[in-house]
Amino acid sequence: MTTPLLKLSGLGIRFGGLVALDAVDLTVAPSTITCIIGPNGAGKSTLFNLITGIYRPTSGTVALQGDPITGLPAHRIAARGIARTFQSSRLFEDLSILDNVIIGMHGRTRTDVLTALLRPAKSRRELEACAAEAETILRGISDELFARRYQPAGILPQADRRRLEIARALASHPKLILLDEPSSGMDDRDTAALMADIRRVMADNPGLSFLIIEHDMRLVAELPDNVVVIDYGKKIAEGDFATVRQLPRVQQAYLGQKAVEHA
Amino acid sequence: MSTTLTNIHSRTTLPASLIVAATEIGGAILLGAFLLAESTPLVVALLAVMGALFAAMQYRPQIEEVIVAAFHDARGLATALAVAIVLIYPFFLGGNTYALHLLIVSLLYSVLALALNFQLGSANIPNFATGATYGIGAYTSALLAIHLGWSFWATLPAAAIVATVFGFLLGIPSMRTRDSYLALVTIAFGIVIHQMLNNLSWTGGPNGLVGIPAPSLLGHSFMRPIELFGFRLPSQANFYYLSAALLGLAILSAKRLHESRVGLAWNAIRADELAAKCQGINVVWYKILAFGVDAFLAAFAGTIYAFYISYISPDNFTFLVSVTIMTMVIVGGMDNTLGVILGAFLLTMLPEKLRVFSDYRLLFVSVVVILFLILRPKGLFPQRQRHYGGQR
Repeated sequence: MTTPLLKLSGLGIRFGGLVALDAVDLTVAPSTITCIIGPNGAGKSTLFNLITGIYRPTSGTVALQGDPITGLPAHRIAARGIARTFQSSRLFEDLSILDNVIIGMHGRTRTDVLTALLRPAKSRRELEACAAEAETILRGISDELFARRYQPAGILPQADRRRLEIARALASHPKLILLDEPSSGMDDRDTAALMADIRRVMADNPGLSFLIIEHDMRLVAELPDNVVVIDYGKKIAEGDFATVRQLPRVQQAYLGQKAVEHA
Repeated sequence: MSTTLTNIHSRTTLPASLIVAATEIGGAILLGAFLLAESTPLVVALLAVMGALFAAMQYRPQIEEVIVAAFHDARGLATALAVAIVLIYPFFLGGNTYALHLLIVSLLYSVLALALNFQLGSANIPNFATGATYGIGAYTSALLAIHLGWSFWATLPAAAIVATVFGFLLGIPSMRTRDSYLALVTIAFGIVIHQMLNNLSWTGGPNGLVGIPAPSLLGHSFMRPIELFGFRLPSQANFYYLSAALLGLAILSAKRLHESRVGLAWNAIRADELAAKCQGINVVWYKILAFGVDAFLAAFAGTIYAFYISYISPDNFTFLVSVTIMTMVIVGGMDNTLGVILGAFLLTMLPEKLRVFSDYRLLFVSVVVILFLILRPKGLFPQRQRHYGGQR
């Protein structure tokens, strides 16, 4: 195999005496989907926060295409090509849908204060180009989002908020997109549409990989190439879903010791 | 349905140029009437007219849309007419120096409010130290002019640079805090600066600095009246044009920054700091940058104020000044240039026009401000969405 897209080695963080995540190893190959599952409080979102630089790991390393990015500030990691969404979607509510996507391009654009003040034509050209690209991205994701592009993001229903978050993530031309429970609050129809969206985006962007935290087992069964199970801050299993679900320690993590014995 | 109707309405029955001309001339006349109004009933009546206009806009949002569309369609005319009105305005004040003075102060406060708007409006940084950076600008230029004999034009950039350095100095430690704690740090900074101006000997202590020489341009001293085409404008008119030019510069800067990647980054930070970080925005740097831009513009206003009054003391730059500037931004409308300027004019002129209430006048100013906020909860002119590709 070539250089992995993302490689975590012995990644861990402790908050005082509490070990939230302990020595997690994980490899993500290009053009793949990896799902992370595990009970509530297992440390899945903490793992995302470590990869994206919101938290600084206390042990271990993160490497993106072989380059170490451990402990870099969040904005630098985003600029390197890791985009993410949040468990409770965090859009720029009072800005227009289009502006939300344009802000996703911040890491790829260059205008600073002096350029904006002294060379307005250059600054405007850059932003107009961003706007045109953002419209293309929106149209690719959903015609309805495109039609409503000048309305504030705050008015969108849940399913469209996720879509807009994915569009914003795509705007940065990322190599890896982290989705934190994308299907939460969605019905079956919306979840099916979400899976179709992810597959289409992968087809349109060769090399792009997804790392997804998910609770909806229907999605976990259908979508990923690889499933990783985390419990009590440790990786307890990895493999394809059919294998992973049969493992006693996985069933135990989800259902409890007693339930497994009685089964 | 209603939008198509208003579009047809604005495009066919009433040409954009007519709407623009009527709005600008009407606004100028209303401002002039307010400036020259001597009797309290007239002031109250004019405030009622303003209230009625804003109520109409609140309950019939199409009115605002039609006007904004017209200004977009006839941009060239709107700018040319606005410049013309600003240029000929002093001729209509009939040599009333008090009205001219009020205008100058309003213009300077508009610049200060626009400066603060980069922080409070764009990036949601509650900076209570705009009064202090304004003071740093004023003192720097006054000291340079008095002790080193620098001309006004040389002190302008010097004061801006010194104040910007102070802005960064305040911004960097402030980044360790946020929200209310950040507000406390800026309040402390403002008080420290005020106390230093009050206690240091080389700033003149509580007596301040006296005898700041008047600027001159191409041999024309700003102390002398302007004589043109047989008209004679009082000497204040010099500073009126100077302040108006500065406000023009501030508007241009605000517009350019707002319509750039920088303005978008500030807005992203205002909406959600964590999400902004994850889009690759260096949140700390952009916040410090907002402190710098605020200080830079505030120092310009401070310099013009110092040379206009020719006497400055620490009491011109108190915490209360910062609070007033903040109120202007909130009442006018965060992140809307026109709104912020309107807020600055209203809050500068109201206390002067309500002098008849003597000791109670600040109470009445507050009542008027609260009434306007009830009428327009998001400010007189709230922020608007950006549009791209020549669309409105």
